Amino acid sequence: MSIRTELRYKIMKDYGAPAVMALQNFKKRKPRPIPEAFGPPLESNKRLKEILSRHYFLSRYVPGVKKVAWVTSGAPVELLRAFDFYTIYPENHSALVGAKKQGADYCGIAEGSGFSQDLCSYARIDLGHMLSGKTPAGKLPKPDLLFCSNNICQTVLYWYKAIAHELNIPLIHFDAPFVTSEQTEADINYMAQQLQDMIPVLERVSGRVFYLNIFEDILKRSMETSKTWGTILDAMKAQPAPMTIFDAFGHLAPIVSLRGLPVAQDYYHILMDEVETRVTQGIGAISDERYRLIWDNIAIWYKVRFLATFFAERKMNFVTATYTNAWAETTGYLNVKDPWNSMAKTYGQIILNNNLKHRLDLMKKMIKTYSVDGMVMHSTRSCKPYSVGQFDLRKAITTDLDLPAVILDADIADERVWSEQQIHTRLEAFCETLEGSKHG
Amino acid sequence: MIIPDRSEYLKALAQSGQKIMGVLPALYPREILWAFDIHAAEIWDPPGELLHANAHLQTTICPIVKKSLEFILKEPDIINAGYLFPHTCDSLQNLGTQVKDLIGVSLPVYTFYNPKGSFNNTTTKYYQDILKNFQSTLEASYGPLDPEKLLAACVLSHNIDSHLLAIQLARMTDHLSLNNLEYFKLMRAQEYLLPTDYLSLLEQVDILDQPSETPRARLMVSGILPPTSEILEFLDELGVSIVADDLLAVSRRIPKFPMDVPVSPLDYLTDRFFILPSCSTRGGDLDERLHHLSKLMNASQAQGMLFNMVKFCEPELFDHRLLVKTLREKSIPVLTLETELESHISGQDKTRIEAFTELLFEMVSP
Repeated sequence: MSIRTELRYKIMKDYGAPAVMALQNFKKRKPRPIPEAFGPPLESNKRLKEILSRHYFLSRYVPGVKKVAWVTSGAPVELLRAFDFYTIYPENHSALVGAKKQGADYCGIAEGSGFSQDLCSYARIDLGHMLSGKTPAGKLPKPDLLFCSNNICQTVLYWYKAIAHELNIPLIHFDAPFVTSEQTEADINYMAQQLQDMIPVLERVSGRVFYLNIFEDILKRSMETSKTWGTILDAMKAQPAPMTIFDAFGHLAPIVSLRGLPVAQDYYHILMDEVETRVTQGIGAISDERYRLIWDNIAIWYKVRFLATFFAERKMNFVTATYTNAWAETTGYLNVKDPWNSMAKTYGQIILNNNLKHRLDLMKKMIKTYSVDGMVMHSTRSCKPYSVGQFDLRKAITTDLDLPAVILDADIADERVWSEQQIHTRLEAFCETLEGSKHG
Repeated sequence: MIIPDRSEYLKALAQSGQKIMGVLPALYPREILWAFDIHAAEIWDPPGELLHANAHLQTTICPIVKKSLEFILKEPDIINAGYLFPHTCDSLQNLGTQVKDLIGVSLPVYTFYNPKGSFNNTTTKYYQDILKNFQSTLEASYGPLDPEKLLAACVLSHNIDSHLLAIQLARMTDHLSLNNLEYFKLMRAQEYLLPTDYLSLLEQVDILDQPSETPRARLMVSGILPPTSEILEFLDELGVSIVADDLLAVSRRIPKFPMDVPVSPLDYLTDRFFILPSCSTRGGDLDERLHHLSKLMNASQAQGMLFNMVKFCEPELFDHRLLVKTLREKSIPVLTLETELESHISGQDKTRIEAFTELLFEMVSP
C-alpha cells in the first residue's frame, strides 16, 4: 500500500465523500410529487441514500488501501470484516441496475458474450458489468477475492466460479447443506469447520492476522444490527403500518451489504426511532390502510414504484415479506461465545436454505401476526429456490387460511420479462377478490 | 446382446416383490441401497406428456424436473420403496421438499446432500458423515445393515465401474462394434437394471482385439443426458460416431480412473465420490473441468463437440459459455442443441447437425 494511495483514500473518506454528498443534496432536483395515497415519506430515506452513495463513492479509492471482496447476500460476511475487506455485493448492484430499468442493457452484454438468457438476471447483470465496466454507481473496484455461499442458491456458486475464472482471483465458497428436515450435527460441524478453514486463506489474501476478539466484536455488532432490523419489521404489525414493504426493500440494503459495520448499526437505530415514533403518532405509510398484504419472493426492482402506487391507491399496504424477513429470522442463533457453531446455525437455516414446510409455517405465522388479508407472490424466472414450490404454497395458504392470493410471473431485474397486460389483469382480479372477501 | 425394455423390466421386478426406489438425478451411494436389497430405478426423462406437473411448476423449470414430477404424480406401481432426491441443483432440491412437504406422496421421500465446491479434508469427513446418516435413515425403516452385504455391494459396484471404464476406453479407441444408439442404450441401462443383471450385460460386450473400421467423423458429447434416440440414429446414418462423452447421466458418474478393490466400504464410497470427473452440478473447478474435457478429446481424437443442453439447466448453462469459448479458441468445431426432452428432432436441428457434420468431414479429408 503506498502512502499516496492511503492518503487519497483518507482524504476522500473524511472530506471528499461528505463534500460530494453535500453537493448532491445542494444540486438535488425538485422532489417528485408524492401521490395522495401515500403518507409522509420516511425522513431516514435521506440518510440511507447518503450511506449507500458514500459506500459506492469510496469504493473507487479503496484499491491499494484495502482488499476488495465481492460477496453474496447470504455469506457470513462477519469473517471478512475481521480482515477489513471492503465488500461489494453484486446482488445489490444488480438490484440497483434493475431499479434504474437498465437491467436489459447489462443482461444483453452478458448474453452477447455467450451467457444464456435463461440464467439469473442478477448474475447476467453482474457479468455484463464485469465484461463492460458499466455501472450506474460510477465505478466499482475489481475484486481481490470472491466469497459466496450456496445458502441462497447454487446459482451464486456457478456465477462466482465464472467470475473467478475470468478474473483469475481466488474464490472462497461456504457450502451450506440444504435443511430437508432439520440441521444435523454433521451439517453444523461441517460448516463450522469450513469457516475456520477459511482463516489462513483470508490472512494470505488480506495480509492481516485474525484476532478472535475483533471478530467477536463484529459478530456482536452484526447480531445487534439484525435484531434492530427485526424490531423495525415488527413495527409493521401496527395498524396503520409505519412503512410499506416497498420502503423496506430499499432500507434492506445496509443489513445486506454493510452488516457488521458501525454505519449499519447506527443507521437502523435512526430508522427504528423513526418508525416507532410513527407508530406512536399513528402515521401510516399509506394514507388510508384498509387491506394488509404479504409479499413473497425478491422485489421486482424495475416496478417497485408502479406496484407501490397501484396498491396504495387501492388502500392496500404490504406489511410483511418473506424476503425482508430473511435478514432477521435466524439472528437469534448467533452466539458470540460459540461463534463457529452459531454462525453455522444462523447461515445454514435461512429461508432459502430451508425446506418448504418451514417456509409454509413461517408464512402462516407472518400472515397471522401481521394481520394479513391477502398475499402476492412474485414468481421470478431468476430464482429457482424462491420460486419452485410457490404454486403449492399458494394452494396450501389459500386452502388452510382462506386467504386470497395471486402469483405474478416476472423477473427481479430483467424488465424484458414484464408483461404489462397480463400482470394488470391478474392484479385487478386479485384486488376484486380481496375487496370481496373482506366485505363479503 | 439384448437390453431389456425399461418399463417391462421394472414391472416384472416389482411384481416379483423386489423393493424399488425411484431415484432422481444424479449422484447417490447406490451401494448402500443395494446392501438393503433396494433396487434403484433412476428417473431422468420418463416418457409421456406433461399433464399434471404444470399445475405445480412454472414454465421456466427444466424438463427433467417437470417430467420427474409428472412420473411421481402418477404414483406408478413399479416404485414401492419411496423416492430419493439427491442434491443436484436448486430445482431438484426444491422439488424434493415440494413433493415431501407440500404435494405429499404415499411413499417415503429421502434426500441425500452432495457437497459442493472445492473439496478438502473437511469435505471428506462430512461426506463420510452423510453416508453414515443415510445408512441410519434407511436402517430406521429396514433394520440394521449387514456390513458384509455393504462390502459385497461395493465390490459389485467396483466390478461394474471396471467394465464401464474398459468399455469407454474401447469406445474411444474404436475397439467397440456398437453404433451410437446401441452404445448409449447400454450405458443408460444401468439406470434401471439390477446391478447383477447390468454386470452380466457388460460382460457380454465384445471388446475387439483390433480397432474396427474408423468412423468417418468423431464427436464428443457434453451435457446432462445423451441426445435422443432419433439424433443418435441420425448421427449413425451420417457416419458420425460419438467416441467420448461428458454427460452427467453417463461418464460423469464413472470414476476417472480404476480404483482398488474395496476393503472398507466407507472409504471406498468416499474415494469414489471424490474421483468422479468434474461436474457443473457439484460446482467443480472450471480449469479442472476444461482439463478433463481436453484429455478426453485428445484420447478419443474427437474432432468436434456437441453440447446437448437441457433447457433451463442453470449449472450447465453457466459453464457452457466458457467451454464453448475455450474449444473455439482451439479451433474445435462446436454445436449446441437445446432440448426439452422431446422425442422428435426438429427440421432446423437436423439441418444444423448436417451442416456441423459436413464441417467434421472436411476435417477428416481436407
